[in-house]
Amino acid sequence: MPSRYIRGIWASRYFWTHLALADLRSRWRRSFFGILWTIIQPLGLTLLLSVVFGRIFNTSIVEYAPYILSGMVVWEFVTASSINGSLSFVQADAYIKQCQHPLAIYTLRTVLTNLIVLLLASSSLIAWVLIVMPQNFGWAWLAALTLFPILALIAWPLATLLAYIATRFRDLPHALGLVLQAMWFVSPIYFEAKVFRGGDLHVLVDYNPIYHMLEIVRAPLLQGSWPTLENYAYCLGLIASLVLLAWLVGRTAEKKVIFYL
Amino acid sequence: MNRNRILLKNVDLHYSSVAFKERSLKSLLAGMLSLKQSQHEIHDVHALKNISAEIRAGERVGLLGHNGAGKSTFLKMLAGLYPISGGTRVVEGTVRSLFDLSLGFEPDASGRENILYRGLLLGLHPKFMRQIEDEIVAFADLGEFIDYPIKTYSAGMQVRLAFAISTAVGGDVLLLDEVIGAGDANFMAKAKQRIRSLIEQSEILILASHDLSALSTLCERGMVFHHGELVYDGTIAESVDEYKRINGLP
Repeated sequence: MPSRYIRGIWASRYFWTHLALADLRSRWRRSFFGILWTIIQPLGLTLLLSVVFGRIFNTSIVEYAPYILSGMVVWEFVTASSINGSLSFVQADAYIKQCQHPLAIYTLRTVLTNLIVLLLASSSLIAWVLIVMPQNFGWAWLAALTLFPILALIAWPLATLLAYIATRFRDLPHALGLVLQAMWFVSPIYFEAKVFRGGDLHVLVDYNPIYHMLEIVRAPLLQGSWPTLENYAYCLGLIASLVLLAWLVGRTAEKKVIFYL
Repeated sequence: MNRNRILLKNVDLHYSSVAFKERSLKSLLAGMLSLKQSQHEIHDVHALKNISAEIRAGERVGLLGHNGAGKSTFLKMLAGLYPISGGTRVVEGTVRSLFDLSLGFEPDASGRENILYRGLLLGLHPKFMRQIEDEIVAFADLGEFIDYPIKTYSAGMQVRLAFAISTAVGGDVLLLDEVIGAGDANFMAKAKQRIRSLIEQSEILILASHDLSALSTLCERGMVFHHGELVYDGTIAESVDEYKRINGLP
């Protein structure tokens, strides 16, 4: 059964890639900067935040800004993938009611769209780091590339799991906003890890998958070092548990989704 | 040697009531606060009741019944979209269904691009779609409008294009739900011819419609649904009579 499901996803690959690209096209239709907004938006916000936070925490803007930017683009991907992802089935109701494709392709479409946005947004991060901290450039940067498949493999089962639930309980996307905001507060996304450690809150860093996820890109780019095995272990563990959860829920929920649309 | 067939044995289908009851947090709280029970209890809908039938390759079946009799549910059940709650369902062959024709159209893309997109929705290869593109363009017969965005099309033109695409691609089992009514007389004649040629390739056609004359010309076999039950299964002429008798039509 799982192999048949995966074959179905592969068989409809032209369809979901088309949907993802169509999403991107429609998002920036008739805007002057178009897809450049993916770069301008986080860059502008980063500048603003690093001026404020730089003053508050007394750190140099030049080095703090890429920290914020890396946190911002990754976190943006996570929130967009989970909130939009949870609405994927509702959004694709017309397709689901007519064609029998595996439902996971509709969350894959959302994740793929967001992944492309992330790729573009991270180009500004790379440019910034190359200019400000060129000494960090090295082989370790290859490790930063692994962030993309890892994030996709985290976001896809997560979005699918949430979509199964959100189709049934339409309150979920709203609640999700709250939960993600809370997670943002307790994770070293904008705030530096040392702030948490200093406040005797190292638990929020060491056992937080979000921290380990971010380290995969932050260690190479911001410190010029390789991410640790522990970072990867946390990410792989997260992927495995999300896939398992999505599979368990999907076993019964997959067929019933059409009734709730 | 065509093994396409549909075999249904005691098929039941329920729409679970949770699906269409109010299920927001607000209604849950309101329900707990209000003391009196709601007068209108909502139950599971037993949409298909104990359906047994066999449809073989080459058969053209017309579905008759009043609104809500279960025709569309029957088609969607055959397409594998709805899970059945009891019995067995065997559908052999690739299913091609035309339920919602304007679906999958991107209003800002041209008709030609939409041919490709809709083909992708049906799970086809882009290369294959480019091969049959000219044939579809010719059949839809939209003239220069094929290169205009879909949003400039009239409803009838959209249906023509959708029909042309969906029927260009052979499926073993073709399921149509009330789609033939659209298009002008000229196109209708072409559409009927096209459907005939599809069936001549020894495929199964199941058509749900209220247009009794269309059913009589296109189908040989009829199935009459009444409140979720299959009450008559026979030739189309007899089925039309039976349908009229049950519903008190002249």
